[in-house]
Amino acid sequence: MSDIVEQRGNDNRSLMWQGTVAMMPLSIAVVPWGLLAGSYAVESGLLVIEAQALSAILFAGAAQLVAIGMFNTGASLVTMLITTFFITSRHLLYSVAMRETISPLPLRWRLTLGFLLTDELFALIGHRQTSFNRYYALGAGLSFYLIWNLASFVGIIGGSVIPNLDSLGLDFAIVATFIALVVPNVKTKPVLLTVLVALVSSVVLHRLQVNGALMIASLVAMIAGYAAERYGVGVSTESSQDIDKEKRG
Amino acid sequence: MILLSILAMTLVVFLSRYLFLAPTLPLKLGSEVKRFLKYSSPAILTVILAPIMFLEGESQQLMPLVNPYLIAAVIATLLAWKTANVLLTTGVSFVAFLLMNVFWG
Repeated sequence: MSDIVEQRGNDNRSLMWQGTVAMMPLSIAVVPWGLLAGSYAVESGLLVIEAQALSAILFAGAAQLVAIGMFNTGASLVTMLITTFFITSRHLLYSVAMRETISPLPLRWRLTLGFLLTDELFALIGHRQTSFNRYYALGAGLSFYLIWNLASFVGIIGGSVIPNLDSLGLDFAIVATFIALVVPNVKTKPVLLTVLVALVSSVVLHRLQVNGALMIASLVAMIAGYAAERYGVGVSTESSQDIDKEKRG
Repeated sequence: MILLSILAMTLVVFLSRYLFLAPTLPLKLGSEVKRFLKYSSPAILTVILAPIMFLEGESQQLMPLVNPYLIAAVIATLLAWKTANVLLTTGVSFVAFLLMNVFWG
């Protein structure tokens, strides 16, 4: 009996480790962001504890940077909350998509995985719902959380002496990982269409600096894929038209 | 005051991450909704990565089409397509990217 328990404990630990390893490229890619979030917070006059609290409890890169900017300009709380909602609204999509797998879990698992449900964690677990494992997800999410907070801490303490990491282009690690996660799942024409529409609409909307570009582009791409599957019409011609649109734009 | 604001924002962020994970939320995802949600992962991931490949970070201007990001992304796409190995794809294309980034004009 105790052997079985121990065996299971080892399996869970090994699954957490697998999640940690799978998350590693994204954890590395987030380091410069964390450094930036930390040093920017302190430069803007936040106390060390406030700066660290942003990473430790808000735990949302883009929202943190915008929040610091608004503390700087003395925006009202209502403005801050509305802005935060717009930035963070994409997480609603993640939680709908993960509802089937996470909502049956016990409360502490739901709260923990919900808290850890960043872009990066969704990237890793969103497309493998059938093989979902809570320990794998926990390892991925928790390691990412720790690295984000460590990077923020280093930024808070030594922000002014850290060289500019932007020029290294570590954000390519995000591109590489996401491509590695998306491409093998492009097995049907509707998924291919989704990816192509996402590519074009995201570039166009971000180029035009439209508010909520991320959310709008995602929904448009999902609708395109779903419609293609549902009605199965002209998948290949639609996608080539989109490429034409991009060339003209 | 700042800590209180941070707490209030945390509530907004956490609720958006947690809302649909709550089983008490009276929402049954029908089969059509599930079909629709199947596309969320490829859609969102592509939407996040696309601007990094094509646009300058600050100005959001289009980058020249031939740039280290795009070339390394093509390498990553080919590797992912042929091997379906996440670590290999990420590792090789990232090294290729860093080399190009260092030696680029």
